[in-house]
Amino acid sequence: MTDITPGILMIIAAVFVPYLPHHIRQIFMLGAIALSAFSLSAGAGIHWSVSVLGQELILHNADNLTLPFGIIFHIAAALNVIYGWHEKKAMEHTAGLAYAGAAIAAVHAGDLITLFIWWEATAITSVFLILASGTERANKAAMRYLLVQVASGVMLLAGASLYWREVGSLAFGAMELGSLGTWLIFLAFGIKAAFPLLNGWLQDAYPEATILGTVMLSAFTTKLAIYAFARGFAGTEYLIWIGAAMTAFPVFFAVIENDLRRVLAYSLNNQLGFMIVAIGIGTELAINGAVAHAFAHIIYKALLFMSIGSVMYRVGTAKATELGGLYKSMPLTMIFCIIGAMSISAFPLFSGFTAKAVIMKAVGYEGLVFVYLVLLAASAGVLHHSGIKIPYFTFFGHDSGLRPKEAPFNMLAAMAIASVLCIAIGVMPTQFYQILPYSLDYQPYDASHIVGQFQLVIFAMLAFTFLMRFGFYPPEIVSTVLNSDWIYRRLIPRMGSPVLAAANKLSVMGNNIIVSSAKKIMSGTLYVYQHPLTGPVAPGPAAIALLALLMSVLLLVNLFS
Amino acid sequence: MSNLNPNLKKMGNYASIALVVIGITLIIAEFFVHRHGEIALEDLPLFPAIYGFAASVFIVVVGIGLRHLLMRKEDYYD
Repeated sequence: MTDITPGILMIIAAVFVPYLPHHIRQIFMLGAIALSAFSLSAGAGIHWSVSVLGQELILHNADNLTLPFGIIFHIAAALNVIYGWHEKKAMEHTAGLAYAGAAIAAVHAGDLITLFIWWEATAITSVFLILASGTERANKAAMRYLLVQVASGVMLLAGASLYWREVGSLAFGAMELGSLGTWLIFLAFGIKAAFPLLNGWLQDAYPEATILGTVMLSAFTTKLAIYAFARGFAGTEYLIWIGAAMTAFPVFFAVIENDLRRVLAYSLNNQLGFMIVAIGIGTELAINGAVAHAFAHIIYKALLFMSIGSVMYRVGTAKATELGGLYKSMPLTMIFCIIGAMSISAFPLFSGFTAKAVIMKAVGYEGLVFVYLVLLAASAGVLHHSGIKIPYFTFFGHDSGLRPKEAPFNMLAAMAIASVLCIAIGVMPTQFYQILPYSLDYQPYDASHIVGQFQLVIFAMLAFTFLMRFGFYPPEIVSTVLNSDWIYRRLIPRMGSPVLAAANKLSVMGNNIIVSSAKKIMSGTLYVYQHPLTGPVAPGPAAIALLALLMSVLLLVNLFS
Repeated sequence: MSNLNPNLKKMGNYASIALVVIGITLIIAEFFVHRHGEIALEDLPLFPAIYGFAASVFIVVVGIGLRHLLMRKEDYYD
């Protein structure tokens, strides 16, 4: 029973979801997730493989790296079911359960082809979470999302084929960058991990999904990519620099973005950067840090998306310009939102602190001073846009006059569970570190570290207060902030049309030249014909031969023009 | 924009005062706790506080600059 790959049962269960009545369906989904999670107890090793066309496909491979991702993906899937309990339509539930299942199965893929299959499955299932919004805007974003995701899959398949020819094995293990095959695999992972300039799809699509859909999306796709990097490219030095850039750039965008779900999508991107840096370092300590951060991040990110989703569920918008002053009408949502905000900002006693501390230690240990300073500044940035901006503009700030009801019970329940997990991870680091891939003997709570971290976050908050009070903080403006998706939404289409126009012009010009030269030959022929040479010097056959030559040139020209 | 909600304003004032008090406490704590970081630079007195404050201001200033470069109307892509 435990040999069945975790996640596959969830995908099978998703087929039945649309045919079940509302409450029974939710219970059924929780049951399917629990049953699927049971397979996690199989222990390390290869539990299920099939032979296809002489290739050994490893469907269920478990080890100390798959386990933490398996656990957290199941937790996230269960939280989504509770958070979406009120939703009567089956579309998001079906897609969400299959999507989570595909991501879990992908984590347990032991070879690149199996990984590719589930990799694409996450793309195809998750696009319905965006389509479910039902707006024209969402439909377009969904198609762009699907194109990018499928492109990532195609690159993975091409890379896997080349890699197989190169090393004669499809096993998914540590790879060395160098050949075209490995680079393609690297880029395929990079698209899904939202590398700088490859990140447009994330901020484009996630905020267009449904309320429940965004919460579901936030957990799986990008963290699957993080897992894939940790398995395939740990210790690849490029990742240190790519990751550092990822932590820094989204921060600036998040500060000026108006749509709070988009702000959270930028902050998600920034958090991935921390994990990518750690994977680039690749030591046992660093990989522990990356996995710890992914684990903690999935919960507090979901919590933040849930809290903003609850607000959106009640008032119909997540735009900072239209929100504010909701603290009195949605006090519990506010508390949960602040717990998420304090977790992502790495306040001591919250999950971000115990997770990020491991990464920072690994970076410091390697003596990467510049990267360390970038990550430290990015941490202050996270505090700004996710720690302060999200709760401040929603629940405080200027009063929007909106007085909605508190979020529905099921949403509050999901947020409460997520909040408890955030705090549990924050106050019990020793237990938390036990699920990490390598043994870790580290105690983040000492007076020095606590004072240092408090200094960082409190003075970053003081900076916010100072800028706000003196009117330097950029006001929220209804706007679109251009991101890297601009390249394929604007630049290429706009560049494309002048190129086409130029090509058209060139062909018209060529045509004109041919036509005018044909005319000249025609009139020349006519002239010769009408002025026959007289006398013995020009015999008739010669004139006819010349005529025939000119006529055939004319014919040829006509033929090709 | 009804920025004049007195409750919100009062809460904002309290929060600011609380932050300043905590900030001062942390500055005092610096003299009692032997603080050491992961890199040598971090061992400088009040480094996290100064760096956190400066980084935040820097991010906001760059953000404002970025608005001039990258901000478009909301219906830009429509």
